[in-house]
Amino acid sequence: MICAGIDAGSRAIKVVLVDGKALRAIGWGVADQGIRQGALARKLLDGVLKKAGVTRRALGRVVATGYGRDALTFADTAITEITCHACGVHHDQPSARTVIDIGGQDSKVLRLEDGGKVRDFVMNDRCAAGTGRFVEVVAARLGMGLGDLDKLGGRAKRPAAISSMCVVFAETEIIGLLACGEEPANIAAGVQASLATRIAAMVGRNVAGPVIFTGGVALLPGMTKALETALGHPVRVARRPQFTGALGAALLAARDADPT
Amino acid sequence: MVDHCLTYAKAQRKKGRHVVGMTCEYTPRELIFAAGGIPACLCGGDVDMIPAAEEFLPSNLCPLIKSTFGYSVQKENSFLEMAELVIAETTCDGKKKMYELLAETRPMHVLELTQKPDDPDALEHWVLELRKLKAVLERRFKTRITDGKIRDAIALMNRERSLRRRLAALMKSDSAPLTGRELLNMKSIIAGIPADLEQYEKALRVLQGRTLNPPASKRIRVLLIGVPMPHGAERVLDLIEANGGLVVCQENCTGVKPILDDVDERATDPIRALAEKYFHLPCSVMTRNDRRLESLRTLAAEYRPQCVVEVIWQACLTYDVESFYVRKLAENDLKLPYLRIETDYSPSDSARIATRLQALFETVKERGKS
Repeated sequence: MICAGIDAGSRAIKVVLVDGKALRAIGWGVADQGIRQGALARKLLDGVLKKAGVTRRALGRVVATGYGRDALTFADTAITEITCHACGVHHDQPSARTVIDIGGQDSKVLRLEDGGKVRDFVMNDRCAAGTGRFVEVVAARLGMGLGDLDKLGGRAKRPAAISSMCVVFAETEIIGLLACGEEPANIAAGVQASLATRIAAMVGRNVAGPVIFTGGVALLPGMTKALETALGHPVRVARRPQFTGALGAALLAARDADPT
Repeated sequence: MVDHCLTYAKAQRKKGRHVVGMTCEYTPRELIFAAGGIPACLCGGDVDMIPAAEEFLPSNLCPLIKSTFGYSVQKENSFLEMAELVIAETTCDGKKKMYELLAETRPMHVLELTQKPDDPDALEHWVLELRKLKAVLERRFKTRITDGKIRDAIALMNRERSLRRRLAALMKSDSAPLTGRELLNMKSIIAGIPADLEQYEKALRVLQGRTLNPPASKRIRVLLIGVPMPHGAERVLDLIEANGGLVVCQENCTGVKPILDDVDERATDPIRALAEKYFHLPCSVMTRNDRRLESLRTLAAEYRPQCVVEVIWQACLTYDVESFYVRKLAENDLKLPYLRIETDYSPSDSARIATRLQALFETVKERGKS
């Protein structure tokens, strides 16, 4: 039985197919999010099924997650990204104790107990300064892509201090720094440090390892380093971090499927 | 609920009784009754009252304080407009300073609430504050408050508290017959209305055999704690119950907190008896507020929740800081998942709060599987 997980995030939709018996991922796909979420997700799923050589008929349960989960009416059920991330991380890293997920419009920290169950979680969803959106805004202001911003940050000599609690004001702060002649590299590194500090405050003082980093922002190597500095603890990036939520959703679909 | 309270207040005024506004559960309603008054709760729960308040008050202030004040600015709260006196207390700093502004246009009396609940002299001070309040009421309403009148009022309030306690206790059952919202809706803005007490008795009879659909056993039992939810500000409670939860107990001031203890009807000094009950309300303005943690332990044992949800109004510093102890109690002692929701009256974060609640309930269910 093949099952699918669809993570309808704020910036991208991710699909993962798993073989329900072997509990192994057999297909992946990602597409930009848009207005017609349901249709976009459906199209993406069809493409991933085709590539994996699976017919629509052979597809078993479908679980939707992410902020757009309730818009995917063709899914069998919706499960929050909290539970899905915990499941996805536990599958690849059974010893994981802390999950840091930084997505496009929110960030969250999960503490896991034995067996990968969620012990508790904190979400930052009121303030874009703790999310991937912050990095995007700054990259746009500096006129570059996310990957280039990350590389640029790696060359910083002295990360700039960016203390605004709000992305809009942080952008103003950055315009001020640029006007004062601050090196863009220092600004790029400063943004990552600022984001990492916010996340570290969510994690709290007693960091339980291993710490696994998921979400689209985990694709930026500089962010992992910034997090390690802020936490004072090693951080491991999840395998295919952008797909952790979708993988968890697919695994939960397989787990709850009828054993027929 | 508002409508019948309004009809009642108007009718009673014609009979010569005085509407007295109050803003906090520390105010002993018994003294208001004994002075020929009817106590009406003025706490604002309407988000639309906030913009008017923000012309005077900082935006980073508790929405309950702003909404209450906004009602006054807009003259939209009929009970406040009818009130011949408003009684308030020095609870938190936000309220205390707002009352100064309120007193510019409204007749006010502020009780000084001392905040060390275990100091014997603090209680003595509260006894004196209540004696002063008695004198204020007597002067304003040209009446004499006798011990007999206070004892009658104590009996009335004890009866109401007992009925409301019994209604709340229906939720202890695995097959609780009503939702948390239905229970909250029964709380009246004005205490001691005879028709309300009859309704409570009737509800106790009628609700016994009722079952919810879906039944209570299919819902996640939630202990809802923290700040009060005045009329209009029930959003988080509704989100809990719309996402598969059942609020089996509200620990806050719109829930069971003020009705857990009665007042001794036969005390030789009824004012002292009142002071002893009201002074020991476990509000987060008290330091230390260990009574609240004790009460949470008892409520958790009685109502057997599967998780704890704490609501904190934005900028409510005392509940916010105290949540440190509450989380520790929930997680370490009660072994219950704990979710803290800081929000205000605007619906902007409803979808995000719903996600957190769904995740909390999923966590509860996952835990139940092992």
